[in-house]
Amino acid sequence: MQYRLFPALSIVAIVGLAVGSYGMFDRLVNGLNPVAFGSYVPWGLWVAFYLFFLGLSAGAFLVTLLTYLLGIKAFQSIGPLSAFMVLVCLLCEALFILLDLGSMHRAFYQFFLTPSFSSLLTWMFVLFNLMGLIYTLKTYFLVRGDIIQGASKQKGLLKSIYQLLSFGRSDYDEAMRAADEHRVHRLAWLSLPVGLLFYATNGAFFAILINRPIWNSALTPLLFVVAALLSGGALVTFLTYVYVQNSQGLRDTLLKYLGRSILFLLCLFLVLEAMQFFVGYQTGRTDIVTSLNHITVGPHWWIFWVVHLVIGCLIPLVLLTFRQKSSAAVATACFLIFVTFVAVRYNFIIPDLAVYKLEGLEFVFRHARLSTDYVPNLNEWLVTVWVISAGLLAFLLGTRYLPIVNDKLGGMDHAS
Amino acid sequence: MSRFLAVEDQLVRMQRDLNRALDGDPQNIKWGMVIDLAKCVGCHACTVACVAENKLPPGVVYRPVLEQETGTYPAVGRKFVPRPCLHCQNPPCTKVCPVTATYKNEVGAIIVDYNRCIGCRYCLVACPYSARTSDFGDWYTRGTTEGQGVVQGQKVAAEGYEANPSAEYGKKWPKRGKGSPVGNARKCHFCLHRLAVRMLPACVTTCIGRATIFGDRNDPKSLVFEMIASARAYQLKAELGTNPAVYYLA
Repeated sequence: MQYRLFPALSIVAIVGLAVGSYGMFDRLVNGLNPVAFGSYVPWGLWVAFYLFFLGLSAGAFLVTLLTYLLGIKAFQSIGPLSAFMVLVCLLCEALFILLDLGSMHRAFYQFFLTPSFSSLLTWMFVLFNLMGLIYTLKTYFLVRGDIIQGASKQKGLLKSIYQLLSFGRSDYDEAMRAADEHRVHRLAWLSLPVGLLFYATNGAFFAILINRPIWNSALTPLLFVVAALLSGGALVTFLTYVYVQNSQGLRDTLLKYLGRSILFLLCLFLVLEAMQFFVGYQTGRTDIVTSLNHITVGPHWWIFWVVHLVIGCLIPLVLLTFRQKSSAAVATACFLIFVTFVAVRYNFIIPDLAVYKLEGLEFVFRHARLSTDYVPNLNEWLVTVWVISAGLLAFLLGTRYLPIVNDKLGGMDHAS
Repeated sequence: MSRFLAVEDQLVRMQRDLNRALDGDPQNIKWGMVIDLAKCVGCHACTVACVAENKLPPGVVYRPVLEQETGTYPAVGRKFVPRPCLHCQNPPCTKVCPVTATYKNEVGAIIVDYNRCIGCRYCLVACPYSARTSDFGDWYTRGTTEGQGVVQGQKVAAEGYEANPSAEYGKKWPKRGKGSPVGNARKCHFCLHRLAVRMLPACVTTCIGRATIFGDRNDPKSLVFEMIASARAYQLKAELGTNPAVYYLA
């Protein structure tokens, strides 16, 4: 692991938490009153970031499947890191969605008291919790050996944490290692249907809405899965470059494989996106064309053309095609893809909501909450900064102080 | 002596329909509404009455009156379309609610249980008619001066009207700002609290053109039943299959 980035990134995270805490305070004290979204655009920046982190977790989820289900050796060195990254992304997703709820406190008990299984949101809640449970256990069993063995070497608070996580054990023999391997393998099997259902349900969540023509398509769940794999895969590739040492060319080999996969996924995503625009414009329906125009020639056209297409697609496409042998170029391309992917999520959420669903709604009962003109305000950005900083700090602390990254060992061997 | 025969005000008939429905088997009641667009003059009295009746805060509206232009110049027209919740009998909003906070009740009205709603706003997004709004906790009196020594300062104004809860769903809600319905989805509920005491919905009684007709659509003797059977009757966005209980007369 490259520790030199740890202090700088930790400072960034702490400053982010400090700056964002003003927005968090305002949100927690005044509810949703400080936000800019309203009743006609009921979801805004936070839902876009929820989807962003959902995508990031999907890439890491894929790597854990390849490593612990299919046993692909090339990915074994980043297996525990990927499992841990799924957990951190789930944490950020949960924070964004909880903060987006008008009555946040009820989410903690109402899902258990009066669940409605006809709602995909209920299923998302169930699957989200299952994913959290599976990946907590999986990460734990992957690093348990290192934790038990490392407990004696640590000092102070860290020693206490290691001892706590060891549950009183001080030895870790071959039988335990084999048992943990078996548990991880079984959890990987379990995560396959749960994860696929979780990511597909997130797409279906939007696709079932009959009055939302941009979302109401069988293509949406597929687009979600591809988008998730692309953005998440790009993040994992970037982290591989940052965290994995290039001993015996291991990192370069990994980046070569990952770079090719990302190139394929990027092309596939662009084809699907182009299809969505082509079909949408060809229908000629006013609501669809208005939504698409909102993306391409609307007030925030630059999010689509500059942030998404040029920075997030064109430059990575060139780098991944012509500089695929350079690990730095592949990492740069992937960094650009995953960082700019929030633009894709924003352009998915907002444009359909930004079209009045009944003629004349725009002229009656004027109020800022009854308008489709939505621009995230300072409060929303501050809360976003806080949540991302919390996620970054959790990731940094986990990778720095827990045996998440181990260059010498990998996959099932990591626990030994 | 007048040369015209006395015509019964349709409000009187609707009141009689209401009493008959409430005196009968409550299991058979299915409330419905018909809005005669030929009679609506766009006065917005129904909107204002609804806001006052339910003490709606800024940004929350149950029954706006849409103004739509028809035709192309020079053959243009203008029509007014009051849009309450359409109380769909196949509602897309209730299916998406994750905690059963919104549902169709026994009289066919789509209602929201404020004490269950988590405020996810999925129902707002799912409604094809944009008939739901979210209560973001706004106040009309926010930003007004306190006016020291003046009788009608901000606090007095708020306490005198806004802070007092509405009688929605016939329940006693806490003072505004102390919990539900702030943070919740809100919508037209056919003034169930008024119906419970044999009063027609506020939008019906205040309609100066008698454009809004309300009653039990299961009762063949009721005016609303008669109007639904009219050749002019249609449902908004019928192609979606939501089957609204609110009909329009073209």
